[in-house]
Amino acid sequence: MMWFLKGIKKRIKTENLNDKYKIKYPSVLEGKSDYNCPTGAIENNKWVKEKCIFCEKCDLKPTYKQDMYNINNNIPDIFKKSFYLYPIDSGTCGACNTEFNTIFSPQYDINRFKIFLSNTPRHADALVIMGVYTENMDKVIENAYDAMPEPKLLIGLGACSVSGGIIGEKISKKFDIEILGCPPSPYTIINAILKARGNVK
Amino acid sequence: MKYYKFGDKNGRYIGSNDKYDVYENTIASRIAENNEKIKKEPYEMYFNYGPSAGGLRESVNFNIVTPGETIRDITVNSYYKRRRIKIINDDIDTALLKVERINGFHSASNTVCFLLAVEDALNIDNHNSNNKRIIEIELERIRSNLDVIKGLCESAGFSVPEKQLLYLMEKVTRIISDTFNHRYFFSANYINNVYGNFDSIKLDDIYKEFNEIYNGLLESKIFMDRIQENGIVKDANSTGPAARASGYKYDARIDSKSLVYNNYNIFAMEDGDTFSRFMVRSNEIFSSIEIINNNLNKINNNKNDVKIENKSGEGAARIESPQGDIFYYANIENNKIKELSIISPSYLNIELFKKAIKNNNILTDFFFVWNSFGIWISELEVDFI
Ligand code: SF4
Ligand code: SF4
Repeated sequence: MMWFLKGIKKRIKTENLNDKYKIKYPSVLEGKSDYNCPTGAIENNKWVKEKCIFCEKCDLKPTYKQDMYNINNNIPDIFKKSFYLYPIDSGTCGACNTEFNTIFSPQYDINRFKIFLSNTPRHADALVIMGVYTENMDKVIENAYDAMPEPKLLIGLGACSVSGGIIGEKISKKFDIEILGCPPSPYTIINAILKARGNVK
Repeated sequence: MKYYKFGDKNGRYIGSNDKYDVYENTIASRIAENNEKIKKEPYEMYFNYGPSAGGLRESVNFNIVTPGETIRDITVNSYYKRRRIKIINDDIDTALLKVERINGFHSASNTVCFLLAVEDALNIDNHNSNNKRIIEIELERIRSNLDVIKGLCESAGFSVPEKQLLYLMEKVTRIISDTFNHRYFFSANYINNVYGNFDSIKLDDIYKEFNEIYNGLLESKIFMDRIQENGIVKDANSTGPAARASGYKYDARIDSKSLVYNNYNIFAMEDGDTFSRFMVRSNEIFSSIEIINNNLNKINNNKNDVKIENKSGEGAARIESPQGDIFYYANIENNKIKELSIISPSYLNIELFKKAIKNNNILTDFFFVWNSFGIWISELEVDFI
């Protein structure tokens, strides 16, 4: 009871997604550069966002835009009602895991969009895979995917899972949604999921 | 190496990896352990949890032996997410990008410790950057300690303070991001340099808001009942907040020469239980704010010249990361990494966790005890190739 009252008194306000505080890196980069990028994210002077780890070494300029993602397949309408996510750490540094947890903080409160955490893949709509490929976790991911009910989605979160980033090899599965950045910011994660579900144009 | 040498045991034990046992002042060759598989009695059962399960942030597996309620024995299998990072023969700049990502949540501690080892190897004067480095490590400690206390609230089902702490963590992360252009300090650290706009660091609100939550938790009888007298461990071979919670006043901020803090007073408890670790982590949030405020006045904004005297050499450094001593050894040949070794505080903390959980605990204590050590597998399970 005491904490309930303290909670009400404190009145922490969830933020409108438009009152964004500014995040410089990672954000969409623009311009041209012929820098010899350590992850091969510059090909023929063009930026390959999936490979970028935002190391700030090249001449590409940050735009502060937080919408770096790819939606590779049509997402069934059924996920507009409610959407349960089950995260799996394949081989992360810990920052992707932390940003994923941050979307449940009062500032972002992703629950308001009917997006929830699932405690088991058996009740999940999407597996969120983070980190580079690791041999032992490959089998665990396979088992988790098999345990999920249909229809089901695979989300790759972070440069490591999508391209290998600078740490290792990418996850061998094809993702329905790729959320980019090293690590992706909470805004990018939320924007990607809302867009994929068709909640925003 | 200015502060370390290869040799036998000398000073307190810091931790081990596959190759080395590291002590306060020496690096010794590893003495392999005899890892026996735990056996259960006929009236006991194995309870297997992880590597992937709700409630676990990272992939790790626990094999618990229990007669039903108490935890008699446990193995912690942390190898599932072991990463093989190609770093040998990298130049220092490229290696730095990888070191930042060994433990992204504690990137400042890892990167600064690595750079101190490199600067030791190449005989680089770094005194101009070290105040800034202390500030970033203490900011990281605040976020990390908030995270540990949040984990305890989560285990107790205390959602209001849990969410308030998550809110504060995000506030600290935004201060880090406004100061260093990145929410996890990536690309902020270089040899004898820290890039950041330190004017954005204002921590009065964090102090005030955390103080309210801390006092609220201390007043809560239910919360105190859940964390007092469980997960007790007192062991001379310990590190970080877990050591200081059990009367061992170990702290690299005092006993390492790699990064010198002046006039730091250690906060310590005696009982070694989850409550004592909670007290140490909480009080170190207040002391970190004080350290940051003191160091902000001493920042030197002059551009630092990097004078590299050697291109080859061996260096080592040890600093106090949020979970305890972190140690790096770097052997550099013609500005390239020839050998790199890390001793993560999570190595000793896992050993301590195993001892603590076997000490008269029941299954429902499991998450309290695990969360109270703030263990990160990412920096433990890493191979440099
Ligand atoms: S920011 Fe770094 S990783 Fe990204 S394109 Fe530029 S050089 Fe490559
Ligand atoms: S993508 Fe970047 S932040 Fe995420 S796990 Fe990989 S290295 Fe860490």
